[in-house]
Amino acid sequence: MEGSLAKESARKDILPGNTTKTLVPQVEVARVVKPAPPRYRNEIAKYIIRRSSDCTLCGKCAEICPHGVHVLKPGYKLFSAPHLNVCVGPSCAQTDHYCIDLCPNKALQMVENPMLKAMGDYRWTPDMLMATWRMAETGEPPSPEYGYDYQTGASGGGLDRLRFKFPEKPPVELSDDEIDTSIVLNRRDDGRPQVKIDVPWYGGGMSFGSVSNVIQLSKARAAAAFNTFTCTGEGGYMERMKPYDDHVITQIATGLFGVREETIQRVRIVEFKYAQGAKPGLGGHLLADKVTPAVAKMRETVLGISLFSPFPFHSVYSIEDHQKHIDWIKHINRRTLISTKVSTPNDVDMVAVGSYSAGTHIVHLDGGYGGTGAAPDIAKKNIAMPIEYGIVKVHRFLTDEGIRDKVTLIASGGLRTAHDIAKAIALGADGVVVGTSELVALGCIRCSRCESGRGCPRGIATTDAELARDVDVEWGTQRIINLYSAWRKELVGILKRFGMRSISELRGRADLLMHLDYTNDVETR
Amino acid sequence: MDIGIIERLLRSRQRLTEDLGISYPASYKGEEEGGCGVVGFCATEPVAARHIHEPSRQMHNRGNGKGGGIAAVGFIPEELGVTREVLDTFSMVHVAFLNNGVRKELEEKYITPCFDVEASSQLDTVDDWTDIPSLEAKPPDVMRYFVRVKPHVLDSFIAKNGFGQLSREDAEGEFLSQQSVRLNQEYYASLGDKKAFVMSYGRNIMILKVVGYAEAITDYYKIDDLKAHVWIAHQRFPTKGRVWHPGGAHPFGAIDTALVHNGDFANYSSVCEYLAQRHIYPQFLTDTEVSIQIFDLLSRTYKYPLEYIIEALAPTTELDFDRLPKEKQAVYRAIQATHIHASPDGPWFFIIARTLEASDRFQLMGITDTSMLRPQVFAFADGEVQVGLICSEKQAIDAALHSMSKDDSRICPIADRYWNARGGSSTDGGSFIFTLEKGEGGRYRMSCTDKFGSPVKLPSGTEVADLNGTITLSGGNGDGIASGVREHFDSGVAAVFHFFTENMPRWSLADVSRACEGLIAVAEDSRQFAGAIEVLTLLNDRRYDGGTKKRKHILHIVRTALRELFSRLPSIAEDIPASEFRLVNYGSRNLLREPHAGETTLVIDTLGFPPEGMDCNSALLVDAYVKGWRKFIVYNCAGQRFTGCGLGPQTWDVAIDVYDSDGDYLGSGIDGLTITVHGNAQDQLGQIIKDGKLVIHGDTGQTFLYGAKGGSIFVLGNAAGRPLINSVGRPRVVINGTCLDFLAESFMAGDPFAGGGFVILNGVTFDDRGNVVDLKEPYPGGNLFSLASGGAIYVRDPHRYLVRQQLNGGDFFRMTDKDWETILPYLQENERLFGIKVDDLLTVDGKQRRPREVYRKVAPAKLSATAEIESDEW
Repeated sequence: MEGSLAKESARKDILPGNTTKTLVPQVEVARVVKPAPPRYRNEIAKYIIRRSSDCTLCGKCAEICPHGVHVLKPGYKLFSAPHLNVCVGPSCAQTDHYCIDLCPNKALQMVENPMLKAMGDYRWTPDMLMATWRMAETGEPPSPEYGYDYQTGASGGGLDRLRFKFPEKPPVELSDDEIDTSIVLNRRDDGRPQVKIDVPWYGGGMSFGSVSNVIQLSKARAAAAFNTFTCTGEGGYMERMKPYDDHVITQIATGLFGVREETIQRVRIVEFKYAQGAKPGLGGHLLADKVTPAVAKMRETVLGISLFSPFPFHSVYSIEDHQKHIDWIKHINRRTLISTKVSTPNDVDMVAVGSYSAGTHIVHLDGGYGGTGAAPDIAKKNIAMPIEYGIVKVHRFLTDEGIRDKVTLIASGGLRTAHDIAKAIALGADGVVVGTSELVALGCIRCSRCESGRGCPRGIATTDAELARDVDVEWGTQRIINLYSAWRKELVGILKRFGMRSISELRGRADLLMHLDYTNDVETR
Repeated sequence: MDIGIIERLLRSRQRLTEDLGISYPASYKGEEEGGCGVVGFCATEPVAARHIHEPSRQMHNRGNGKGGGIAAVGFIPEELGVTREVLDTFSMVHVAFLNNGVRKELEEKYITPCFDVEASSQLDTVDDWTDIPSLEAKPPDVMRYFVRVKPHVLDSFIAKNGFGQLSREDAEGEFLSQQSVRLNQEYYASLGDKKAFVMSYGRNIMILKVVGYAEAITDYYKIDDLKAHVWIAHQRFPTKGRVWHPGGAHPFGAIDTALVHNGDFANYSSVCEYLAQRHIYPQFLTDTEVSIQIFDLLSRTYKYPLEYIIEALAPTTELDFDRLPKEKQAVYRAIQATHIHASPDGPWFFIIARTLEASDRFQLMGITDTSMLRPQVFAFADGEVQVGLICSEKQAIDAALHSMSKDDSRICPIADRYWNARGGSSTDGGSFIFTLEKGEGGRYRMSCTDKFGSPVKLPSGTEVADLNGTITLSGGNGDGIASGVREHFDSGVAAVFHFFTENMPRWSLADVSRACEGLIAVAEDSRQFAGAIEVLTLLNDRRYDGGTKKRKHILHIVRTALRELFSRLPSIAEDIPASEFRLVNYGSRNLLREPHAGETTLVIDTLGFPPEGMDCNSALLVDAYVKGWRKFIVYNCAGQRFTGCGLGPQTWDVAIDVYDSDGDYLGSGIDGLTITVHGNAQDQLGQIIKDGKLVIHGDTGQTFLYGAKGGSIFVLGNAAGRPLINSVGRPRVVINGTCLDFLAESFMAGDPFAGGGFVILNGVTFDDRGNVVDLKEPYPGGNLFSLASGGAIYVRDPHRYLVRQQLNGGDFFRMTDKDWETILPYLQENERLFGIKVDDLLTVDGKQRRPREVYRKVAPAKLSATAEIESDEW
């Protein structure tokens, strides 16, 4: 695998013996796409095919459908429930195998699934949810014949109104394997190891507590497969994560839950979470229902009592305190890189440059579009600056200060698709952090009940042992690997259209973007 | 209608701003400011500027070299080339020229037409600024003018503005102030390309600032030897990258006053609004500038006494407000109602130096915000020469005192008292003021009072040592005292210590010194090293009756002896037969090796080590641990950080003893080891501590044990603000003094009976004889155990001072036998460590009581029925 840790640094030389002592053998996960069908028998689909009593069970529909929607199992008298999620919908009418037309008795009828009206939201449209499921199932961008409108949401603003200005044809013709999607995370040249990730994103912080350990583990394994990272969030470091230490970012957040020297010493990146874009200034919340015995034990708190992380760090009220904080972690772990996660207040440019001067390697801007159901609705997208403004503001300011290439700028907060990722990079970020998308890959339906212990119908944002059993680690890993693969293909596709050999060429190319409301450009497809 | 002088002043300033075309801004955007390092000291004898060097240098890590400043008040006239009369009656104006071309024009416009200039000079500088490494840009040329307003100019100023009610002096002050605004507007605020600005104005006061570190100023302007009664210095950490002039650096001045500031305001624009409504506008766009503007407004326009000014800045709230006398409440309520918008919100700490009316009285004061979000330490060194100090970190105080004592043997490097202020409180008001006044015989004497005017109490000893002569530490043993020490050595360390404490009350300081020499002589035999160190350590840590001797002088002798002993240890570089101890210092750090047979303890002399980074002594300690060392002594500390951090888990066999002024974050994250701090400790100690033992023979600073998860922790003195916030698991803590406020907020440490955590707060201190006595109240703060869901606090509160109002989510529970059984082992260990007897703790007003009559238990009001944590499911 490209850029594995051993090649990147002579780590043994840098480390005192005791900080390697806790390392356990690292498990490799193959970056192989394999079908990972949905875990529910009747996956939510865009279209529904109804079969009337006129059906004579002739079997014609099953015979002609290349996708396998209709299933008449041998020995059964009736059709099984159709596999609607593989049905391409009305676009099939253009083909020679459109079951609705070809049914000799006209017993089949196709309608749009009424459930879609209740599913998702403006930010995560039903099409985007289903397309993400599809990618997680197949590892490919969904074929256009499905008709998913998934590259943007329907929020009517932000990234949803940005489009790329693709040239008519690429300035140079490139093949897929000529295109590099990797980014480096240490630009300080400070003697600490270089860390390179193969894709310009890593997984966001979700604590054991906010999600189950199966989810955390699936994310970590997928991160290992793609030589990127996942983040523990604030809530401790599971024993089972240790085989993936090299792909884990451990978070130090304001509650300091589960943070120990040992956990800091395991990892290659430590993230300071000052604020979350979805709820800046509100600290962290883990409500009582989710503080199960295992969570309480991990965090060493009281069972069934809500856990509030304060805002801000009680030990950090200024930039020199922040520097001291960073120095402390650099002292504890001599090889780790430091990421500073902040939200996007009005003076985010100053925050970024201050973080840089305090010694951070990664400035992580978390905008206001993100957040699961656990973030209060009143806060989400109402406090932090929209991420598309934040990125540009910081990118330009760092450039003017002459330090843009000394720091890695990572954006997050409501980045949902490969197109969002590309847009964030074009606006000036080096890479992004994704969160909700991974949960969607695992079957999340955006019902926004993440804060409640047994509220997650999909067994994701839960710490309830019974619900968590709904997800299998191998399956979860595969779903995220598949999503990542599909995204990478899409990114490569975008770069190809611009004739760019590397994702870093796209960085800061806001000139390649148009805003449907503010510029007079005409959208190209 | 007579509109009163306040209104006249405000109207006059309104005309001024209209004249200058300063318009009411649509919004306020201040320059981003980080935190900073601040230091201030004052002395009854003028002291040289170079003494700000060492404390400033030690606080480099609180700035980033992009802004430094100093201010001085109370000069010696001859050093400035003027007579006493001129210094006392004329105002000093310092103007910084960023563009020298404008000097003539500026003088003709703003100086010569309206001022009688008694003397003027350009401050001398070194030839090439690049020779001074801690400068980042060429400092401005500075002109100093001694001026008085021309009588006819002042007459017409008074007439025009209707200032008849003002004294001529006050009118002159207002004229100077307005003239400074005019000058700054034309040559600074209105320009993109800044040309000049007024650094300071007023009697007997000077401010200088540079783009660089503060101590570069004395080098660049060649004023190392310039003496003044009061000095303040500031290291700035502006977050913006490119800074080419020091306009935004601290200190900021108003008439007769200079202010430095650590922190920043969350309500900058609201404070600006408040000022704009009074026709005052910032010209340098920093929150420090508006701070001095508020201070100046309240002091000079509203003529508030200092107490009310402090109240307006840091309002008294909550329980503290309720505890004020009724009459004071009425006044404070009115002040808060009127001036709450002038109260800076957020973390801030001010140090202010000023000349008082008579121009030969000087003041140095520190004011902390109500929530005490910035670090602050005060110290008073009494004696023939008195010194008052205010700093961000205690080690900076030590550095300043040490530097001064090298120049003047009447100054002891240890202060009589170190303390913190409790912001917006009813106890001290969050502020202390050192005032220098001429006493009998025309010599200056210093007093220190809190916001309410109550003097700070100092230890009673008066006898001082001659710091030049007494401590020779020759190792001589010709007299009875030294032989007494030697004889007792055969009976063990306790016997020697007893010999010392028994004789201490009647010994002179010279005797103490001889006794310490005797100890060193005994240690010539390397097998006795450990014993000698132990005795001296006990003398350093423990409280005992010192007779009439000043305790700080005893401590100075003991610590000098300790350092002497350590320095005599065999170096790691030497190839001599094995000894128990090995010494390593900055020079020999690269020779670090595995311990040889028989070597147990590595002694690290931290002199010269940087406070953090790959080359710091704490990193060396980690390396030594990896090589197999397990016992450490760390001494000569001057703010070095992270001691004991980074050793990783399972370090039960490690012990670290720390002497002198250790830095922040000591023991943060330890998991098994034992750290003993032989003296006061700094901020952020023991964060996320997992397991192990932390013993502090003194006070400790802010956010002590934040997020702690376990360990046994013993503190002889006080913890400052916000100890044990967000602590979980099973930390078990004994604090013998008290805390400023917010003890154990969001404490989540389970059930003390089932292995959970707790805090024992004893609320005691020592009298001058070394006896344990009660503090006035065990816990003065308004917030105790707020929002806590687990664990407990056991407060020694026999007089029932604590009230339910102090709790938010907690409740008082009856002490049971089980509670006593749970905490007793910790009180016994406390007795062993500090000599605070359990029996003494249970003695109230001379009578032995039962534990439940003395201790009160605070626990979560709603104890979860299912509080027992079940086993791990995976």
